[in-house]
Amino acid sequence: MRKYWFVFSIYWQEGLQQRASFFMERFRSLVVLISFYYFWTALLAHRASFAGYDRSQMITYILGMNILRGIVFASRTYEIAGEINHGRLSGYLLKPVNFMAYTFFRDMAEKSINSVSALIEVIGLSWVLHVGIRWPHQASTWAYFLIAIVGAMILNFIMSFIMGCWGFWTAESGGPRFLFELFLEFSAGAFFPLDVLSPKLQAILKMFPSPYLVFYPLHVFLEKLSPAQVINGLGCQLFWITSFGIIAYVVWQKGVEAYGAQGS
Amino acid sequence: MALKAAEQTARGRRFMMKHVRIWIRLAAMGFANQTASPLSSFGYLVGKLVRLAFFLVFLSAIFKHTDALAGYSLPEAALFFLTFNMVDILAQLFFRGIYGIRGLVREGDFDYFLIQPLNVLYRVAFNTVDFLDVVTIIPVLVTTFWVTRHLPASSHLSNWFWYVVMMLNGMVIAFSIHVAVASLAVLTQELENTIWIYRDLMSLGRFPYDIYDAPMRCVLTFVIPVAVMVSFPAKAFLGRLSAAWMVHSFIVAIASLAASLWFWRFATRRYTSSSS
Repeated sequence: MRKYWFVFSIYWQEGLQQRASFFMERFRSLVVLISFYYFWTALLAHRASFAGYDRSQMITYILGMNILRGIVFASRTYEIAGEINHGRLSGYLLKPVNFMAYTFFRDMAEKSINSVSALIEVIGLSWVLHVGIRWPHQASTWAYFLIAIVGAMILNFIMSFIMGCWGFWTAESGGPRFLFELFLEFSAGAFFPLDVLSPKLQAILKMFPSPYLVFYPLHVFLEKLSPAQVINGLGCQLFWITSFGIIAYVVWQKGVEAYGAQGS
Repeated sequence: MALKAAEQTARGRRFMMKHVRIWIRLAAMGFANQTASPLSSFGYLVGKLVRLAFFLVFLSAIFKHTDALAGYSLPEAALFFLTFNMVDILAQLFFRGIYGIRGLVREGDFDYFLIQPLNVLYRVAFNTVDFLDVVTIIPVLVTTFWVTRHLPASSHLSNWFWYVVMMLNGMVIAFSIHVAVASLAVLTQELENTIWIYRDLMSLGRFPYDIYDAPMRCVLTFVIPVAVMVSFPAKAFLGRLSAAWMVHSFIVAIASLAASLWFWRFATRRYTSSSS
C-alpha cells in the first residue's frame, strides 16, 4: 500500500510543478462557473424559485458543481490509451504494481489538487459575489454526502479506465473518449441540475450511471431526497460500481492478452 | 489607362485564385488526415453535435419554466447561442492552424513557411482545415434559419444584412485574437495555451450578454470583446443594437486587426529560428 502513496505523492508534486497547465485548467473551470452563475442569477432575478430550486439552493448547486467537477471528473486516465499505444505499459507490467491501483492513485493526486483549488475558488467567489450557500441542516447529510462523493469518484474512475483500455484495440480512442466525456458531463448534471429537463428526458438519463456522479451527491447535500431515496441512490451507485468494476476487470484481462507492446 | 486597370484586375484575380487553390489543397490534406482516423474523427464529430444538441435541449427545457431570459424569448435566446456557435466554429474552421504554431516554432518547421512564396500568416492560419467543423456548421446554420423563422425580425432584410455584417465584424476580431496569440507563440514559444483561454472566454457569449451585471458587461464589451463578437450580431438581427454600438464594434475590429498585424510583424522580425 505504501508504494501507492508514493505514486500519489509523486503525481501530486508533478501536478503542482506544471503550474501553467494547472492554472489554465482551473481558469477554464472558473469561466464555466461564472457563466452559469450569471445565467441562473438572471433567471431567478424576479422569482422566488425555479424548477423547485430557490436562489440559495440553485447557487449552492452551481458552486457545488464546480467542486464536484474537480473531485469527480479530474482524471489522468486519458493517458492510459497513449501508454498502451506507445508501449509504455510494458514498464508498468514489469513493476510489482497493480496497474489499476497505480492509475487510481495517480488520479487521486489529480483530483485532490483540483478539488482543493475548486474549494478555494468557490469560497473566493461566494465572498466576492456575496452569495448565500444552503448548508445541510442535519449532520447525517454530511456523512451521506461524503459517501456519495467517494462513490462518484470511484464510479467515474472505473468508467474512464475502461475508456482508456480502448487503446489495446485501437490507436483512435481520442474521438470516442471526447464523446464519452461530453455525454457524461451533461448527463451527470455537471452543467445544470437535471430536474430542469422534461420528466421523460430525466427518466431516460436516470437509467445511466452518470446522474450518480454530480446530480445525486448534490441532491443529497441539498437535502432534496428522503432517507429512503438516499439509501436507494447509494445502492444504485454500488450497483454501477460493481457492474463496471467487473467489466473493467474483464476488459483489462482481455486487453493485456491482446497487448503487443508495440513501440516499447 | 484602361489597359493598366485591366492588368491590375487580372493580377488581383490571379492572387485570389492562388490563395483559393492553396486553401483547397490544404483542406484536401486536412480531409485526408482526418479520414485516416475514421473512428476518432467520428467520435469528435458526434461529440460536437451532441454538445450542440444538449445545450439546445437545455435552453428549450428552461423555457418550459419561464417566458423570458433577461428579457429574451426562447427563439431569441437560441439565436444568441447559435450565433456564438457560428462565430466559434467559423473561427476554428478558418484559423485552426494557429493552434499548432507553438509546435511549428519549437520543431523549427516555421522556417519552411518563411521561405515559401506565400504570406506567412496566411500559411500558418490555414495550415489545418478541420472538416469536422464543416460538418458541424451545417446543423448550426439549419437550426439558426429555423429559429429566425420564429422571430418577427426575420421579415426585415436590413436585419439580415446587419446580422451578417456584425458576424463578419466578429470574425475580424476573432482573427485578430488568433493573430495576437500566434505572435505570442512566435515570441515566447510557450503561450499556445492562450488560445484555449480565448476559447473559454468566448463561451461567456453563449448566453445573451444582458444576463451579466454592469461591470461584467463592461469587461465583455471593452476589455475582452466577446459581446461584440457573438452577442452584437444577434442583437443587430433583433433590431436592439443602436448605431453607436455598431460604430463601436467597427472601431474595435479595425483597431484589434491593426494592433494584431503590427504585433505579428514585430514577433516575426524577432524570430531567431533557434529550434531548426
